[in-house]
Amino acid sequence: MLKCTINGQEVEVKEGTTVIEAMYGKGGNWEHGKVAHYCWHPGLSIAGVCRLCMVEIEGNPRLQIACNTVVTEGMKVNNTSAKVRDAAKWGLDFHLINHPLDCPICDQAGECGLQDQYMEFGKYDPEMAEKKVKKHKVVDLGPTVVLDTERCILCSRCVRFTDEVSKTEELGIFNRGDRSEIGTVDGKRLDNKYSLNTVDICPVGALTSKDFRFRQRVWYLKDAETICNGCSTGCSIKTYFNKEGFFRVKPVYNAEVNSHWMCDDGRDLYKFVNRDTRYLKAKKKAANGWDELLPGAAAKEAAATLKAAGDAVAVVFTGQYSVEEYEAAFAAFANDLKVKKFFHWNNSEGHENDFDGLLVRGDKNPNTQGLQQVAGRHGGLGKWSDFAASAKNGQIKAVIVAGPENLKFYHDFADKVAVISQVQNIVWLQSAKHVALEDLKNNAWIIPMKSYVEKDGTFINAKGMAQKFKRVTTIVSEALNLSEAAELLSGKQMMIKPEINAFVENSRPTDRVMLENRKKNEFVFRRGSL
Amino acid sequence: MSVVQKNTSESSKWYLPGILGGLVITGRHLAVNLLDNMMGKKKMITVNYPEEKYEYSPRFKGNHVLTVKKDGSLRCTACMLCATNCPAECITIVAAEHEDPRVEKYPIKYEIDILRCVFCGFCEEACPVDAVRMGPEWQTPGVNGANFHYGIEHLAYRPQLKGGILSHVDDEERNKAGI
Repeated sequence: MLKCTINGQEVEVKEGTTVIEAMYGKGGNWEHGKVAHYCWHPGLSIAGVCRLCMVEIEGNPRLQIACNTVVTEGMKVNNTSAKVRDAAKWGLDFHLINHPLDCPICDQAGECGLQDQYMEFGKYDPEMAEKKVKKHKVVDLGPTVVLDTERCILCSRCVRFTDEVSKTEELGIFNRGDRSEIGTVDGKRLDNKYSLNTVDICPVGALTSKDFRFRQRVWYLKDAETICNGCSTGCSIKTYFNKEGFFRVKPVYNAEVNSHWMCDDGRDLYKFVNRDTRYLKAKKKAANGWDELLPGAAAKEAAATLKAAGDAVAVVFTGQYSVEEYEAAFAAFANDLKVKKFFHWNNSEGHENDFDGLLVRGDKNPNTQGLQQVAGRHGGLGKWSDFAASAKNGQIKAVIVAGPENLKFYHDFADKVAVISQVQNIVWLQSAKHVALEDLKNNAWIIPMKSYVEKDGTFINAKGMAQKFKRVTTIVSEALNLSEAAELLSGKQMMIKPEINAFVENSRPTDRVMLENRKKNEFVFRRGSL
Repeated sequence: MSVVQKNTSESSKWYLPGILGGLVITGRHLAVNLLDNMMGKKKMITVNYPEEKYEYSPRFKGNHVLTVKKDGSLRCTACMLCATNCPAECITIVAAEHEDPRVEKYPIKYEIDILRCVFCGFCEEACPVDAVRMGPEWQTPGVNGANFHYGIEHLAYRPQLKGGILSHVDDEERNKAGI
């Protein structure tokens, strides 16, 4: 361990730590003072090209860049002096010489590195009288990313990302001087599983996501953290939403799971939670078409049918619900409904252990581990082939399906629906709409479920790590979660437990006159009638 | 309340001369104004409203106008700064990507709920490209079922604007100037 002084504070760091890492701190919130920077990123190698992270080191006549200077014993670093601020300010001026300042049509505006750093370290009067160098705008880089070379400040983060993290090496810097620009080698496209990370790490609006482009200004969006339910890796993510729905997903730093990155497939996962792709009301098969009713009422109705089916009820689970829901569902179905047949609908059979070495796993369910652990405590899960066989020979009279919410990875959904539809009575718990379900001919109920952003819970990922996540927002307020549905389907009444707010309860003064007492107070009563 | 008896003189009971005196003054003003107006010497202050209309100062903040470029397309870049700045939240914009890379972003829907609008002019101030202006019109009549959600068609191309108002900001000129 080395001791050094940063802005007057004594800091102890490991050997080999750079000054900027020491200032960034372990928590990543600039514990020892903020430094202006573009090219440095905690997840990438050091480039030292933006020359903004200047710091003053005692005994050194010139300013040094913090990102490429290693801390030595007794080093005294300062980045608050006038000299340092001046260097950052005019460094910024150089960056902005050829920047087009089209913030009004730039998607990055509002979360842009240039805007932030300018407000913090810049605020100068530009002294550049020359014309700006014009470069290419709206360059189609690949299926997911659009490039604007004018806005680029050549920090090379995206180039280093494709070299070091995705290891696909599509991007490079071409030409020289103020004509240099980011691009791909002749004819090659930026097309890899992690391409949208380049958009995240771009400190300006040079790389923008095709999916999110122009759909919302970022200041209209709220954000909340949750766990990605796209595969069994379980990356930490941040979802961005407003009253119109969800708009995008970005990764959050999690050292044990996903570091700074996430895959492109995971970024599509906001789509199936928006209202237009969801069942809003429960549906019940009628003589001609479907009747609509409230989810709770539908579950109660279905409960009677399930009870009549007696022993011949089966439950099919997918790995898309939380551990708490599985616990409640197994308890309710096994104890109250006396169900003995539980089956596992596994969409990635045979690919469970696929892993691309970075993030993407073959098991496309967030909580297969959790399902198996809970099922293990309740006598295990049957295989899909067993279910198909017993459905065919009529051993099963009624089936409850806890369907997938994320249909993107359920390519054979329609085939599976065909197998299940051999059973007479079907109670299908599902959040995302699918055409195959509309065509069911059986005595069927479709009950809308809450998606993963609408509930609290725990996912257990492929490594066996239990990760808790919190509710982000509510989209379909009538929808049930699996534990509520299980309780209703097994014939119990759902009691809505009033949430006791400990803080309000405790902060109430003891001598407060309650409303009831106030009404009895004659004086107040008479005065009210005046 | 107390009633006070004024000490009135005999002469004050003769009110007719006073009334006649007043009428003479009124008549003189009428005659002079009429004659002056007929000779064109002086203008009357009042306006014959439906036929004649008062001209407001150029700074008047009336109904919105969306300006156009030289080719007649909308100047608006759908940056949504007006909608962000609007205290009445009466502006709705839906942006889309334009085929022309020089335009890049443009609004496919620009709607002002004129009944919510408070005519503060903040949208005009926020606009970086002189795309929205507050015009001189202030009458917003409408019978039952009239549409008070003004869309692009009304805001930029209503007949009164005679093909659209040209914006001060031109992309090509800015490009040539190296901005």
